[in-house]
Amino acid sequence: MSAFLEVRDLTVTFRVGSALKARLRGEPPPDLTAVDGISFTAERGESIGIVGESGCGKSTLAKAITGLVPVASGSLHLDGNPLTARRDPATMRRIQMVFQDPSSSLNPSLTIERMLSELLNVHRIVPRDAIADRCGELMELVELPRSLLKSRPGRLSGGQRQRVGIARALALEPEVLIADEAVAALDVSVQAPVLNLLNSLREDLGLTLMFISHDLAVVRYVSDRVIVMYLGRAVEDRSTAELFDDPRHPYTRALMAAAPKFGVKKAPGESALKGEPPSALKLPSGCRFRPRCPIAEEICEQTEPDLAGPSPIQRAACHFAWDGHEVRS
Amino acid sequence: MTKRLLEVEDLRITLQAGSGTITPVDGVNLALGRGEALGIAGESGSGKSLTLKSIIGLLPQGAQVEGNLRFALGDESPIPYTSTDVHGRGISIIFQEPMTALNPTMRVGDLIAEGPRIHEGLSKTAARERAVELMRQVGIPAPERRAKMWPHQLSGGLRQRVMIATALSTRPKLLLCDEPTTALDVSIQDQILGLLQEIRINLGMSIIFVSHDLAVLGELCDRLAIMYAGQIVETGPTDDVFTKPNHPYTEALMTSVPSFDATSVKLAGIEGHPPDPRSFPPGCRFSPRCRYAREDCTEADFELVATDADRSSACIHTEVFAEGGR
Ligand SMILES: Nc1ncnc2c1ncn2[C@@H]1O[C@H](COP(=O)(O)OP(=O)(O)OP(=O)(O)O)[C@@H](O)[C@H]1O
Ligand SMILES: Nc1ncnc2c1ncn2[C@@H]1O[C@H](COP(=O)(O)OP(=O)(O)O)[C@@H](O)[C@H]1O
Ligand code: SF4
Ligand code: SF4
Ligand SMILES: [Mg+2]
Ligand SMILES: [Mg+2]
Repeated sequence: MSAFLEVRDLTVTFRVGSALKARLRGEPPPDLTAVDGISFTAERGESIGIVGESGCGKSTLAKAITGLVPVASGSLHLDGNPLTARRDPATMRRIQMVFQDPSSSLNPSLTIERMLSELLNVHRIVPRDAIADRCGELMELVELPRSLLKSRPGRLSGGQRQRVGIARALALEPEVLIADEAVAALDVSVQAPVLNLLNSLREDLGLTLMFISHDLAVVRYVSDRVIVMYLGRAVEDRSTAELFDDPRHPYTRALMAAAPKFGVKKAPGESALKGEPPSALKLPSGCRFRPRCPIAEEICEQTEPDLAGPSPIQRAACHFAWDGHEVRS
Repeated sequence: MTKRLLEVEDLRITLQAGSGTITPVDGVNLALGRGEALGIAGESGSGKSLTLKSIIGLLPQGAQVEGNLRFALGDESPIPYTSTDVHGRGISIIFQEPMTALNPTMRVGDLIAEGPRIHEGLSKTAARERAVELMRQVGIPAPERRAKMWPHQLSGGLRQRVMIATALSTRPKLLLCDEPTTALDVSIQDQILGLLQEIRINLGMSIIFVSHDLAVLGELCDRLAIMYAGQIVETGPTDDVFTKPNHPYTEALMTSVPSFDATSVKLAGIEGHPPDPRSFPPGCRFSPRCRYAREDCTEADFELVATDADRSSACIHTEVFAEGGR
């Protein structure tokens, strides 16, 4: 049987710089490969975390799956059906995204009720006379008082706005919910309730959740499985428990070492990960993590490692990931 | 405590807001020793930035400041000062957003050289050499080449390093850090924290580091001050505060964020949201969100009281809280 969501060799490119200048120089127009041949599958109800440094392609991956940016090559399947560039509204509905900044993605002049009603109406989710009830139910689902339906987004706190953003995504009854840095802009005291909400929604509605964050601790809290991205590639794909227990890719290990931990003092001048990721326009030869890798060897310069391992959710893209390592099943 | 460098006494900042006024910083007391790193933790709007800005005299126009600020410019005890006494001489500041803090119309090298030229009267060439040297010191690769670049041509992490170099260029004794790593990746944050620790130890500098992230503060700071709604509600040595918080808000903050090392116990978070300075709750300002609140909490006068030799708390029910609640 095929997987619920199947992402195969997904590649997304953006045209950057001047195509004309390139043509005058007789070169091909410059393309930036933001997502570079990513493959993974997700089961119904699974929660997958996506982590990686800024610019590694997390949002682009999310937008490609949602249908918000065109795919250069590769394929996407939902429930066995191909997801093409031009999706009909019924297909669009099945995958919804929640964004980082709730205020900029909500129309400030509409009340919450107007916004939700219009959405329910346009997509004909429920009969017209059931719309008001559904708005109330949606508010309950995201644990907001119904009285807030009459408010405009400007009157709400950041945490409340993010809940409205989630309600808006849920209004379309999606099967896949992609949350892109959904709590990053929130005060720390109100992040937890939103994370708990996402966890319970997933359980109650059987949603497949893709949770994107640069914060490993947050990802650990909401995900069954984690995909670590570096420069457009998935470099490790593991169950959450295994990944945190025993990371196999040097990049994952460095990210974990870099995360601040309670009660650990920083040593002067020390850092887990030197330098910054190179530009996606100037990839190093061989393994793209090589210039920053503490254990790189000659082969790393010549051959790019595959994302491989003993099982589909025990994969790491490093020549030495599984050396001398017995994988527990 | 080592010899004092800075004292902030009963700081109160009042600002115009619409037709009325707000007092978003309301009775803050802080003391900082030489070479010490103090962390101020608090959520957005709690008054952290305004507190730092008042210390270096960068408050917005029309701000009214009450209270006493004292700083030790030389080896003597702290004395009252004005912003012109310390600006470019004793205290520097770095911000969260280097792009808005750095003048976009100046080359990076000139930005860093500006302080030494003005305050030490260095020649153009000497100042430029100093800039390159500072860039090297803060870990900017190829400093000669990058000195000629514009701020927007650099990555966020490098821009933050430029800002640090600019701050160090005047050889301050105190570096104020206003969430300088909040906008950065964990990897770059880790690098900047390592750099600040190095600078602090090598140059014997004092630091006040402001952040909403307790774990980040813990990596750098000897002592912590927890801020809520314009007031400091708890202070103490970092490890003690982490091991046993003395204020319900501190405890709540610590159990709000998933910990990197522990698997998921359900996070508590805090009911409601941080209050708006236009309508701070009466009595203990945390009372509407506090799980230990009692009737008399809404009538309590604010006072930060010593609980141990080196610690203080503004909670009037530390006894209940210490027992783990009702
Ligand atoms: N519309 C676009 N045009 C050109 N380049 C783009 C576009 N969108 C993204 N990119 C580039 O693609 C790469 C991946 O970007 P993306 O936004 O997916 O990263 P991200 O992992 O979500 O980063 P962050 O953590 O900062 O959100 C980056 O190099 C980015 O500059
Ligand atoms: N220039 C200003 N005019 C009016 N209100 C301000 C100004 N600067 C800050 N405030 C208000 O003062 C409070 C504290 O602000 P700030 O010190 O920036 O908080 P923090 O740094 O802790 O997030 C906030 O409610 C903020 O909106
Ligand atoms: S393949 Fe080589 S360079 Fe790449 S991560 Fe593994 S050891 Fe490092
Ligand atoms: S004074 Fe009362 S409301 Fe305030 S923190 Fe203490 S117990 Fe909670
Ligand atoms: Mg993104
Ligand atoms: Mg601030």
